[in-house]
Amino acid sequence: MLTLENLSKLFGGVRAVDDVSLTIREGEIFGLIGPNGSGKSTTINLITGLYTPTTGKVTLDGHDLTAMAQHERTSMGVARTFQNIRLFGNLTVAQNLWVAQNGHEQRRAHFLARWFKAGGEHGPDIEELLRFSQLHSKRDLQANALSFGEMRRLEMARALASNPRVLLLDEPAAGASQEDAQLLAERIRAVRDRGVTVLLIEHMMELVMGITDRIAVLNFGRKIAEGSPAEVQMNEDVRAAYLGGSHKNEELVHA
Amino acid sequence: MDYFFIIDFVQSLADGLLFGTTYALIGIGFTLIFGVMRKLNLAYGAAALAGTYVGLGLFLTFNAPPFVVFLASAIGAGLIGLVVYYCCFRFTPEAHPMASLLASVGMLLFLEEMMTHVSHGMPHPYPSVLSGATLELGDIWIRGDLLFVFGICVVAMALLFWLLYRTPLGLATRAVSQQPRAAQLCGIDSARVNALTFVIAGVLGGTAGAMTAAAVGILSPIIATGLTVKGLIVVVIGGLGSIPGAIIGGLLVGAAENIFLLLRGVTERDIYVMLLLFLFLTLRPGGLFGSAATRD
Amino acid sequence: MDFYFGLLQIFGVHTLLGLSAYVVLLTGQVSMAQAGFYAIGAYTAGAGTAMFGIHILPAIIVAGLVTAVIACIVGFPALRVKGLMLVVATLAFGEMVRLFFFNLTWQVDRGGELVGPNGAEGFRSIRYFPEHGWEVWHVTAFIWAVVIVVMVALWWVDRTRAGAVLRAVGHDETAAQSIGLNLTAVKVGAMTAGGFIAGLGGGIYAHTVTHIEHGVFGVLLATFAIAYPILGGLGSVFGTVIAVLFIQGFLIEGLRFLGDWRSLLFGALIVLAMNLRPTGLLGEHAPRWFRRRKTGSEPLELKEAN
Repeated sequence: MLTLENLSKLFGGVRAVDDVSLTIREGEIFGLIGPNGSGKSTTINLITGLYTPTTGKVTLDGHDLTAMAQHERTSMGVARTFQNIRLFGNLTVAQNLWVAQNGHEQRRAHFLARWFKAGGEHGPDIEELLRFSQLHSKRDLQANALSFGEMRRLEMARALASNPRVLLLDEPAAGASQEDAQLLAERIRAVRDRGVTVLLIEHMMELVMGITDRIAVLNFGRKIAEGSPAEVQMNEDVRAAYLGGSHKNEELVHA
Repeated sequence: MDYFFIIDFVQSLADGLLFGTTYALIGIGFTLIFGVMRKLNLAYGAAALAGTYVGLGLFLTFNAPPFVVFLASAIGAGLIGLVVYYCCFRFTPEAHPMASLLASVGMLLFLEEMMTHVSHGMPHPYPSVLSGATLELGDIWIRGDLLFVFGICVVAMALLFWLLYRTPLGLATRAVSQQPRAAQLCGIDSARVNALTFVIAGVLGGTAGAMTAAAVGILSPIIATGLTVKGLIVVVIGGLGSIPGAIIGGLLVGAAENIFLLLRGVTERDIYVMLLLFLFLTLRPGGLFGSAATRD
Repeated sequence: MDFYFGLLQIFGVHTLLGLSAYVVLLTGQVSMAQAGFYAIGAYTAGAGTAMFGIHILPAIIVAGLVTAVIACIVGFPALRVKGLMLVVATLAFGEMVRLFFFNLTWQVDRGGELVGPNGAEGFRSIRYFPEHGWEVWHVTAFIWAVVIVVMVALWWVDRTRAGAVLRAVGHDETAAQSIGLNLTAVKVGAMTAGGFIAGLGGGIYAHTVTHIEHGVFGVLLATFAIAYPILGGLGSVFGTVIAVLFIQGFLIEGLRFLGDWRSLLFGALIVLAMNLRPTGLLGEHAPRWFRRRKTGSEPLELKEAN
């Protein structure tokens, strides 16, 4: 459903992403892993439109997203979270979800109703999302008053507020403990069960190996492997990339 | 295109380029401050002019010779720059850029009022050098005082480059402006570097103020707004944080101003300068030498 | 008594000026074009009543609309840049407008008298109020009626999604883009709304002073426009009103007995205020009693799994 075709991005002379092609199927949890600086975040930024690719294209259900602005991609059904959480700290929890209601369906609502109706932060969709992310009791708190874990949950809920078809998670377990990671895994599955396809970028191998249906591995901007978690763990190139680059191989083998 | 028009045109261009060096200095001052602090100091033009008034004070009370007056203007502006730093930037929190912006506006109003108060709002004569002399190049006459202004400004720039590229202080300044966090980790006291940058920028501004006054022959508090606006324009044309850009921007603004003066007269001159600037900003937002990164 | 009415009128028009900058500041943009918009409103409304003899109310509304259209047109190119670049671009625009009126001469004959903008002379005899027998308190009430309408409208917007979106963009543009907000549309929208309010304010201002000239609409006025909302705090429209009262009432009128020195104190107090209260007098958040009540607040949430 979401496909990247021969996607490349050059920064100056550096190929941050080099001729990457991927196909993510409807309803799966797809993992994108790789050592530090292998181009994972750049790939997400290319999909959401924060960067424009040097060559190649991104399509969602056959619609070419490459030339679209970020906000148009959101209404097509692409949503994301950030590695370093970016909430609207000056708004309340509920308002954070409210402003994010920019999906395709929501855009069809009447202009005045969409923008100038007060009290929309109490709408049914928002209530449902607040429950889903267990933030209901904090709904009127400023977002910057939340704990770290709550911020992560809110950011994911905010991404879901636009009714996306595919959700890109940029290292959602960064800074989380083992137990938190367990809860996060459940939450990601719950998101998938809502009918949202998930693209997960992550360092924490246990998480990725445990919940993804398929995985692609990037190294130096190139895709070096793709397949089920078991296949990827057996792959020689992947082992070499991790053994050569960092201590992560331990995790990779044991997971 | 008759001969006299071409002569007038070249004459305007030459005068504009020579005087443009004062704009360049102001632009460099803004750029330096913006470079290390990522903040806009709107009081800068007023602080520069306030320094010039310090020099004027010496001139009026002790009848000091021009060079002493100029030096006192520069040093005075440097010290006032330090005061501005401590009043508006040192203690306002990093997370609220609006606070320091508005504090610098308050400072601008304060300094302007101070100058109006001291000068009773009247223009005062300001000493200049070589004002009688002219350099004749065919039909084009170069005013001696403008040539002197040009010379002093070039010397000030040369000193700045020496300071930035040949001294440890300059190294620290450049480090803070490129990677503030990393510089701090390397043990550079960024508050001290910031304070010193305000002093250096102040000295440059004072020199520019003194040279502006010397070129015009009078000093008046209303020059402050002009200095601020022109300085900002120069920074933007040159590209934020670029010193060579500020120099070229200054010369361009000086030249453009004089040429529009010749073509359209004094009342319409600035409309075209502003129009040019507006178009420039929106078409080439990174400035001549800046990166296009400031564009979102 | 007239003195106090006059003071109230000044508060009113300056509140409008401040509110016009407030809308734009919510999106995190510092616009120095507000004085230019104010000038456009003043000249347009002045032309409406003095040159074409229309009623004051349509005149200021037309002034607001004309200014809004211009703000929208200027906003598109200008808002592609931000931060310092935007300050300078809008400053350039404001100065351009001021100098345009400095050079504008366009007079018509009305009852044997030439009226209209006359270059550096300015635009004289915008005498709608005295000609139609408005008393000073009528004028004051009219001004404050407009101010209150604008304040209520902005307060309403603040409670809607539009208000939350403005603040979201002001807080983090990257995040705002990632959730599908069109930054250009939001910023240009804010600029247009700000232009409308500045146009209204300028239109009214022209009628209270009867004589306008370009010098008034300079950098200083633009600075005041942004100073009000920043000094008052961006939490709500009330911050701007408080700041206008503080600056115009306390600092400019209240300290009149200090003579010349009052202006000195004025700048110094702004510096002091920003050091002590960097988020403004009323702070970043709306005062509690104006904040929305929790409607139907649920009993404390089921145990959170954390």
